[in-house]
Amino acid sequence: MRLDTYMKMRHLGHATAFYLLAMLAGCGSGGGQADNSGLPARDNTAEVQEYYKTKVSIPPAVREDLERGKITQEELDKRSAAGEFPKFFRYATPQDIPADLVWEDGSDLPEFASPEAKKGGTLHFWIDDFPRTLRTTGPDANGSFRPYILDDNAMLFARRHPNDTSIGPSGFHYYPGVAEAWAVDRANKQVYVKIDPKARWSDGEPITVDDVFFTFFFYQSSYIRQPWYNNWYTRSYTGVTRYDNLTFSIGMPEMKPDVVAHVLEVDPIPAHFFKELGDDFPERYQWRFQPTTGAYVVRDEDIKKGESMALTRNKDWWAKDKKFWRYRYNFDRIYLSVIRDTPKAFEAFKKGDLDMFGLTLPDYWYDKLPSSDPLVQDGYIAKAVFYNQIPRPTYGLWMNESRPLLDNRDIRVGIQYATNWDMVIQQYFRGDYTRMRTTSDGYGEFTEPTIQARGYSIDKALDAFAKAGFTKRGPDGILVNDAGQRLSFTVTTGYDNLRDVLTILREQAAKAGLEFRIEVLDGTAAWKKVQEKQHDIQFTAFAVSQEMYPRYWETYHSVNAYDQAFLPDGSPNPNRKPKTGTNNLQAIAIPELDRMIETYRASGDAAEMKRLAFDMEKILYDDASFSPGFVMPFFRTGYWRYIRWPEGFNVKLASTANEYWLAWYDADMKKEVEEARKSGKTLPPMISTYDQYRDQ
Amino acid sequence: MKLNPLTARKLKRFRALKRGYYSFWLLVVLTVLSLGAELLMNDKALAVRYDGNWSFPTYADLKLGAEYGLDGEAARSPVNYLELRQLFKAQGTGNLVIMPPVPFGPFENTAYGGILKATPPNAAQGHYLGTDSTGRDILARLFYGYRTAILFAAAFTLLTYLIGITIGCMMGYFGGTFDLLVQRLIEIWSNIPFLYMVIIVFSVIPGTFSISTRIGILLGILVLFSWPSMTYYMRTETYREKARDYASAARVLGASSARIIFRHILPNTISTVVTFIPFTVIGAITSITALDFLGWGLPPPTPSIGELLKQGTASLTTAPWIVSSTFVALVFILTVVTFIGESIREAFDPRKFTIYK
Repeated sequence: MRLDTYMKMRHLGHATAFYLLAMLAGCGSGGGQADNSGLPARDNTAEVQEYYKTKVSIPPAVREDLERGKITQEELDKRSAAGEFPKFFRYATPQDIPADLVWEDGSDLPEFASPEAKKGGTLHFWIDDFPRTLRTTGPDANGSFRPYILDDNAMLFARRHPNDTSIGPSGFHYYPGVAEAWAVDRANKQVYVKIDPKARWSDGEPITVDDVFFTFFFYQSSYIRQPWYNNWYTRSYTGVTRYDNLTFSIGMPEMKPDVVAHVLEVDPIPAHFFKELGDDFPERYQWRFQPTTGAYVVRDEDIKKGESMALTRNKDWWAKDKKFWRYRYNFDRIYLSVIRDTPKAFEAFKKGDLDMFGLTLPDYWYDKLPSSDPLVQDGYIAKAVFYNQIPRPTYGLWMNESRPLLDNRDIRVGIQYATNWDMVIQQYFRGDYTRMRTTSDGYGEFTEPTIQARGYSIDKALDAFAKAGFTKRGPDGILVNDAGQRLSFTVTTGYDNLRDVLTILREQAAKAGLEFRIEVLDGTAAWKKVQEKQHDIQFTAFAVSQEMYPRYWETYHSVNAYDQAFLPDGSPNPNRKPKTGTNNLQAIAIPELDRMIETYRASGDAAEMKRLAFDMEKILYDDASFSPGFVMPFFRTGYWRYIRWPEGFNVKLASTANEYWLAWYDADMKKEVEEARKSGKTLPPMISTYDQYRDQ
Repeated sequence: MKLNPLTARKLKRFRALKRGYYSFWLLVVLTVLSLGAELLMNDKALAVRYDGNWSFPTYADLKLGAEYGLDGEAARSPVNYLELRQLFKAQGTGNLVIMPPVPFGPFENTAYGGILKATPPNAAQGHYLGTDSTGRDILARLFYGYRTAILFAAAFTLLTYLIGITIGCMMGYFGGTFDLLVQRLIEIWSNIPFLYMVIIVFSVIPGTFSISTRIGILLGILVLFSWPSMTYYMRTETYREKARDYASAARVLGASSARIIFRHILPNTISTVVTFIPFTVIGAITSITALDFLGWGLPPPTPSIGELLKQGTASLTTAPWIVSSTFVALVFILTVVTFIGESIREAFDPRKFTIYK
């Protein structure tokens, strides 16, 4: 062929190759916020706007009728379309804001972080499993990684002051986050909020009322696959009103004692990031980092699946000099290695590959890193015990009343007397922990003060079992009834680290004629089992949020126990099936309790709520389906000397050392420690107990 | 039963190899002893004389305190024989409690100093190998764990060989399509990762099953994935034997297939199969130990060597006696079985003793 054609062909070949390569490069994961899910683009703006126009606010009484089946969804839709209910999303102007509002901004509260904190350094820490997603909601989102991107990182509109826990006229004291100021209008059941004009998302976009509106769209939509959020964000609020770009108000059906919390602790959702929100939410947003109000971001290059995850401090964080937020979030980088085995992580800590390690378990605190350990005596590693005051996770045995035998109260009472928590606490936890008393310990004045949990007593257990027809012991010592049934239950748990607790309980229960068959599952498998209500008895704990008063609806209302707990005449429905996916692990369905829970939920009077809470605790005590276990009144940490802490070490409400990110990296101290280790020089040992907030 | 002179010679040769011979007897003695583990290491007394009457609690129904004159809450609770022994000694009325040599069972937690933790070996207390992380006697747990492991291995070997030999022999004898089909099946089957199957099946079966049922299920799965290995050898051997003159002679004489297989071919091939047995046993013990170590084997608190190893590795620096005693015990058992295996292989070497019948 001719030379010029040949040359053209060669160029064409080069060009094609170049374009192919470019296309391939484009197909790979683009940096930043580009969609790396490979799914087709979509834009939900029209859908969202339509939602804002049409969504109505249903009064709680009507909603409860719907839940109970007194009215149908179609009827409700007809009534909504007819305009019976007010709109949820409202538009107003600044003139509509009442002039006599008392605006609060938390400026009188003391700062709790240390002004000596220096920015910089990398914190090397660990997680036991690689996170299954970067989403903060949806399937698999609530794992051990979520605190790093949501709970301990997001600012929310305002945060509860972690040291001053007194209850004021509008509830607890708050310091500002995304909000600049707020005000409560009790008469109209509204809370007004002014967003800080400097507030920005981590990608630089401003935070506006559009995001607040979108937050409700987000949490009320079925796309996120979280029925609990759907329920909360529809039932707890009557509507949201926009006054201008930075001012809004949220209405509530009842003015609870902690009304301010319901509004200020909302986590705003970036509308611009979720333009593609749809049915494929879990897949589409699986590995996309949601822009945050907080200091730490996850960059794409830091996601090393299965190996490690890192968070990087946003140097342009809008709140880096804001009061209550400065002097915190000091590490430049948080590097989390995936280490599946706790003992292995501990060895990495002793080597210096990890900068901190949790020593709350007794064998770590007393045996594996005793105060006599050379690393501690030479002053390289410090040990600290910090007593806190928070609502306590409900470690205990949760009995499923929908199972045969466990539906008999005498058997449940017997199980309570046959469970030797005191031995576990005294001999296994070495007396450091205390016995939990009620289902809601740690709520201060809202915790019932007189109830004592049932102690271990073989006599009382045998008596209770005898009442249920279990009087004879079989050849192996386990009680048998006349029908030949053995008194035997499966105790399931997902806590591999606490399996010794169950083996001890089993031995002690056998003395009283009760058999516990122990089943240790992987954490997720155990949780799935108990959510499917397939368990006999579950050894688990709910992490309870730091609220003013305990929640009873989620865990003890019959609507969360069975699909149709009672027949219309009030008698138990013989064909009822346990409802899956709720927190009512015991399948408790007591009509009297239901009524009290509903009154409690609707009440705005703290005194009445306290009275109801105390009465409910008594009913639950009588029902005996929760055997309260232990309470850890502190947390214990070991850390290398170059990680520095404020003078009081931490704050009253902290449940883990890094929850408030008060620590910082001291580069000079690191050099000192390294030189000391090389030369054999020792430093004064640091073993401290911080009990300024100890619960007496 | 008169032994085939060939076999007799093999056995004599086995006896001559001292190392394997003594190991064999050691294993037999240990296994027989472990069958009676409750008599050697138990928290239940061997014999109790109360008011002139003897009772033997070891294999009897669980006894409550009232039987021995205790009152109060202790009357309705299971008897603590160690405490009873102290009580009788203090009372001095001639009542007697005789405890087994190791007065601890594999399940009870004993707290020393009011704390449940691992304590080092202490002959005075009776803990010859110390206690594990929740105060249970290590020697007792090791011994009971050994019993489970060796019985499991024996059952495993028996079942695997039975199935494997039968099918392998059939494949070799019938040949043709049958052989082809089963070979393909085996190829597919042996590609399934057995560990994942164990994990999956174990996570699916409900916790309500008793320990023995769970051991049975575990056995079933392991056998299911191990029988193909026996077929390879049996198949080739059977093919070889089938082609020999004596087999054709038997067929010409009118012998049925079954008779040819069981009476003529199998005896010639089996003697070498015997040499594989010890190594299968080792494989079974290792498998069950590994599964227990990973947490996928028997549920807590079943005593097992793997579970002790797991505890031991988690407390290497704080309680080294756990891992050292378990490790030594495991190595000892496996070494003993290996010695036996080598001796059998020496003694039953086909090249020395192959004769055509």
